[in-house]
Amino acid sequence: MTFATKRLQKELQKIHGNLPPGISLVSAEGFDEWLLDLKVLDANPIYLNQTYRLKFKFSPSYPIEPPEVTFHKTADRPIPMHPHIYSNGIICLDLLGQQGWSPVQNVESICMSLQSMLTGNTKNERPEGDEHFVANNRRRPKDIDFYYHDNTV
Amino acid sequence: MPPPNTPRRSSSVDSAAQSHLDYLDLDLGEAVPNIPTSAYSLSPSAPRQQHLHLGVDRQPGGSLNRLPEPNLPHTVDFRGLNYADTVDENLLCPICRVPMVEPVDTACDHTFCKDCITEAFKYSNLCPIDRFSLTNTDLHKAHKIVTNQLDALLVLCPCCTSPVPRAMILNHLERYCKDALVRCPGQACRDTVKRKLYGRGCLHYDVSCPDCNMIMQQLEMADHRERDCQERLKDCSHCGDVILRCKEDGHLEKCQYVPASCEWAEYGCDYESRRKDLAEHADVCAFKFVGPMATILKKEINNLRSEVRTLTEKDHIKERRIKFLEGGFGGQRDTDRPLDYADLPSQSLSNLADSSHADPLDSGHEYLLSLVEAQETKVDRLSAGMTELEAKQTMMLFNETIQIKNELAEMRSSQQVLSMHVRWLLNFRRQENQRRFGAGPSSGGGTDGGGSSHDMPFPRRLSDTMNRDLVTKL
Repeated sequence: MTFATKRLQKELQKIHGNLPPGISLVSAEGFDEWLLDLKVLDANPIYLNQTYRLKFKFSPSYPIEPPEVTFHKTADRPIPMHPHIYSNGIICLDLLGQQGWSPVQNVESICMSLQSMLTGNTKNERPEGDEHFVANNRRRPKDIDFYYHDNTV
Repeated sequence: MPPPNTPRRSSSVDSAAQSHLDYLDLDLGEAVPNIPTSAYSLSPSAPRQQHLHLGVDRQPGGSLNRLPEPNLPHTVDFRGLNYADTVDENLLCPICRVPMVEPVDTACDHTFCKDCITEAFKYSNLCPIDRFSLTNTDLHKAHKIVTNQLDALLVLCPCCTSPVPRAMILNHLERYCKDALVRCPGQACRDTVKRKLYGRGCLHYDVSCPDCNMIMQQLEMADHRERDCQERLKDCSHCGDVILRCKEDGHLEKCQYVPASCEWAEYGCDYESRRKDLAEHADVCAFKFVGPMATILKKEINNLRSEVRTLTEKDHIKERRIKFLEGGFGGQRDTDRPLDYADLPSQSLSNLADSSHADPLDSGHEYLLSLVEAQETKVDRLSAGMTELEAKQTMMLFNETIQIKNELAEMRSSQQVLSMHVRWLLNFRRQENQRRFGAGPSSGGGTDGGGSSHDMPFPRRLSDTMNRDLVTKL
């Protein structure tokens, strides 16, 4: 049993116990990929009455390495509008990159960070060059070298 | 059937002596999806796990020599252990989220498992909590109080699931756990068995299941017959219930449809019927009054018998004691010694039962003790008399010395008076002599006048000194 599995077991136990409001577990079949639903709780008009689906992909070296976290689009789960979220669901957040990641982070804390990232947002727009990026990107999200320039959101 | 001790699977395990038992993670409850669970695995080259915090050097070879047969060295994955109680959040490693294993402190005052933080350093040399820049040398063994708390946590043994302090888990598995694997007692067998089965000898020989004729090892037979065997169930031929074949005997003893004989069969009732009908018969049985009475009488007789037995034993003991005492007194008369064990009749000594063995010794001891006590009281009385005498003596001495002292003082004063008188007389005599011989031609009235002037102060001075003496003496 790998390090990651053990740690994820513990996290899952805790998640089954209780999760912060607005975050709910959809599925955790095994320890490779989990799906969670995210809601923005305050009355932010951009995200009002919407539920977004997050997809977590764990590598065997989690939590030393960050998980791959993206928004997952389904019929009733859109990709939220945010200047750091591409329309294919890839999220530009330093927390999820090699630099910003820390092994003490966990699924719950990532969800909460994303929740607050959405809550604090006022711009109903996609990142610059979204179309170009979505059309051309073939790399995995963690391999993309984001330039974290905007610390306002 | 092959002979016992046929090592059927010895090829799969090169050398049981070299093998480690690896306890991997057990299930974590129903909330967790399918986790590959494997309680044990034999792995000859199992990696050495965390033992350092246990404070015991556990080199595989060393521990092998240390453990007495048939114990095997075990390895435990401390992160896979289940804890008996919920563990304080502060004792969980922030990285792996389980109670810390071999905790280390960083320079920035955070504590992690040693393995976790070393692993994290492979990616980034920042503290995972506050991003303080660290190096491997900034890690120090955590404070003893932390390791003690961690060691005291109760974990559930991966084999028998009983709670054990974490520091003791290896010791428990290697020496005590009933469900842990130990070397098979068979001489030629290199397999392992659970410790609780050790006393039953080598069970690694093939037998065929009496129900389904499948060939398997005796070790697995009990489990197989209860759980896996295709033919394990059958219908009871008496009551029609579905029962386990291997438990048939137990069932027959209780089955209500099995023919049984009357309760009072031993007293002569020859009625037989199905067990459930016996109750009806019990009401009409000719022995229903005699039977219970007979049982009571039997019981009573047994009680009396045992009582008689104890009484005879007591009697024997008393007889022996009397003999001993007689022998003891005879010895006293003859040799003027209170006790002599050699005088005891050799027969009584050799025939002593275990229960009465101490009796002659006891009475001998008692006698000696009483003697000692009597002596002690005598000694006490004597010492009391001694102290009394001593006190008297000192008083007497004191009284007498006071008298003597007084007399001495008196005598000293009278002696003073006497010496005074003598001196006065001597002076008087000298003056007489001077007057008689001094009336010569050389010194006339001159010396006379001087003499008279010298005369006067002498007696006065003498009386003065006498007075002074008396004052000082008194």
